[in-house]
Amino acid sequence: MNDDAIILESVSKRFGKLEAVDGLSLTIPAGITYGLLGPNGAGKTTLIRLIAGLLRADAGAVRVLGASMPDKAILARIGYMTQAYALYTDLSVRENVAFFGAMAGQSDRARVDEVIALVDLAERASSLVSTLSGGMKQRVSLACALVHRPALLLLDEPTVGVDPQLRVQFWSYFRRLNNEGVTIVVSSHVMDEAERCDRLGFIRQGRLLAEGSSASLRQQTGMATLEEAFLAFAEGTIVTR
Amino acid sequence: MTIDFRRVRTLAGRVFRQIIHDRRTMGLFLIVPLIVLTLAALLLRAGQASVPLGLIDQDEPIDVMLVGEVSLAARITQTLRTTEGVSVIALEPGPAAEEALRRGEVRGIVTFGPDFSAAARDAQHISLPVRLEGSNPMDAFALQAVLTRAAVQALASLSPLASQLAGDELPVSIETTYLYGGPAFDNFDYLAAGMMALMAIFFAFILATVTFLRERSQGTMERLLATPATRLEIVLGCMLGFMIFALTQAATQLIFMVVVLGIHYAGSLLLVFLVEALLVIVAVNLGIFLSTFAHNEFQVVQFIPLVIFPMVLLSGMFWPVEELPDLLRPLAYLMPLTYGNTALRDILIKGWGLADIWPQLAALVVLAVALVAAAAASMRREVA
Repeated sequence: MNDDAIILESVSKRFGKLEAVDGLSLTIPAGITYGLLGPNGAGKTTLIRLIAGLLRADAGAVRVLGASMPDKAILARIGYMTQAYALYTDLSVRENVAFFGAMAGQSDRARVDEVIALVDLAERASSLVSTLSGGMKQRVSLACALVHRPALLLLDEPTVGVDPQLRVQFWSYFRRLNNEGVTIVVSSHVMDEAERCDRLGFIRQGRLLAEGSSASLRQQTGMATLEEAFLAFAEGTIVTR
Repeated sequence: MTIDFRRVRTLAGRVFRQIIHDRRTMGLFLIVPLIVLTLAALLLRAGQASVPLGLIDQDEPIDVMLVGEVSLAARITQTLRTTEGVSVIALEPGPAAEEALRRGEVRGIVTFGPDFSAAARDAQHISLPVRLEGSNPMDAFALQAVLTRAAVQALASLSPLASQLAGDELPVSIETTYLYGGPAFDNFDYLAAGMMALMAIFFAFILATVTFLRERSQGTMERLLATPATRLEIVLGCMLGFMIFALTQAATQLIFMVVVLGIHYAGSLLLVFLVEALLVIVAVNLGIFLSTFAHNEFQVVQFIPLVIFPMVLLSGMFWPVEELPDLLRPLAYLMPLTYGNTALRDILIKGWGLADIWPQLAALVVLAVALVAAAAASMRREVA
């Protein structure tokens, strides 16, 4: 738990002419919730896909849970919730969760039901995903990412379309996971959500603008809100240490 | 690279569940081929429809030594009336005959002029003026053959010897023996092999392409690739899942062909099933591979004319592969249906066994392995 969960060293990834991630270095200690914050197109999803081993970095090193990515074996310890629901709509909730669990080596039925109860879908466990609302699908998606008890949870915009009450539930659960030693990386462009993260990274044009706790970021800029702090960094008025 | 068979089984199970949840697709998948096969059987066994032929007879009889008064036109007409494949309709000379041709009541008109018999006798040569409707070249072939035969027969009947010996029949009979098949084998038996191979390929191809397309478009492929499953495991797992259905379909089809449609067959049905299994493997992986190049279901539909039609045309179902133009023959040898059709035809009609058809099986295995590799590689687009 004392080790760093993720270490990125001068990582670059380009798509054609677009420099999606540009010489970015970042260290995320284990057991915390880290927020990747930035506007759409800043490179958050590319960064998460690099950490999940779905992309190979053009330059630099990506180390996740002690392994150099991409590494298939380490994927059994990573839970990845994509921006889209990414579910089999012609399968039931339970079939989806059980399938992704089994793919990661978790075939305990009790665990499947436990996770479904956790996202408050026990009553809909046998329903086909195609019959669920958007928010429910989002919850199934989270359950699929959690079922195999990952040590690292990657959540790409997890609370889009989730109602406020459930969002609170999600965050209290994330807190519990942190206490169990699970590292969580959340990407978001919603600033008030970022307040809940232990550490934040401001991302823009594939670069890390600034990093720190919400309080320290606001303090550095002398701004009252994270939003203003972000803009201050983005305009280059503040130079990081 | 090691393969985790538990994951392969999990993947196959998932594909299986997806399909059984979709009852209608499953029903169509099993029943549509049976409908198509029944239709083909009814059509191919119906026998040939006869071509309507108009005759204008103005011929005046001539006197032939030892035979008496003879009209060659009447003799030809008489022969035509007893010939299979044509039906004779008498027409009056004038615009009405041309109108009958235009309306499609007759497909051709033969005009016997007043001096038809006399001219034939004088020239020792029969000259038949035929006017064809002309849209369908097949009619021309059929009518020419029938008319030549009738004319020769009419000429022969002028010889007193022939008319005494055999009456109106030609003094010829053919004794047939068969290397393969037999008198009971019909057109449907000949095409059954190709039809079975085609159905197996067609439905497995569509099922695999659409399922994999959805996998990509709904984002589950991204999620799958973020699990420890390798690309090869994903392809193998999905392939097995599809195969459960494709093989059920192949078995249903085979039983239906034998029990309901009563096809004639000489070889082992088990071997037929083995060939079908290989074809399904090839088709599923072709589908997975090609799904990379489609972005929606509309584009998948376009693959049918692009992939399936050439397969059917070049497979040897209708034209023997050896007789294809040089430009097209190499293409035919790239098509799995070519090997499937040849192998199934050899088993069903010729009664050949494994020892004879192994080259076809080997070709299918090579195609299958190449396509499994291509399918797994096609996922490289999304991953490191």
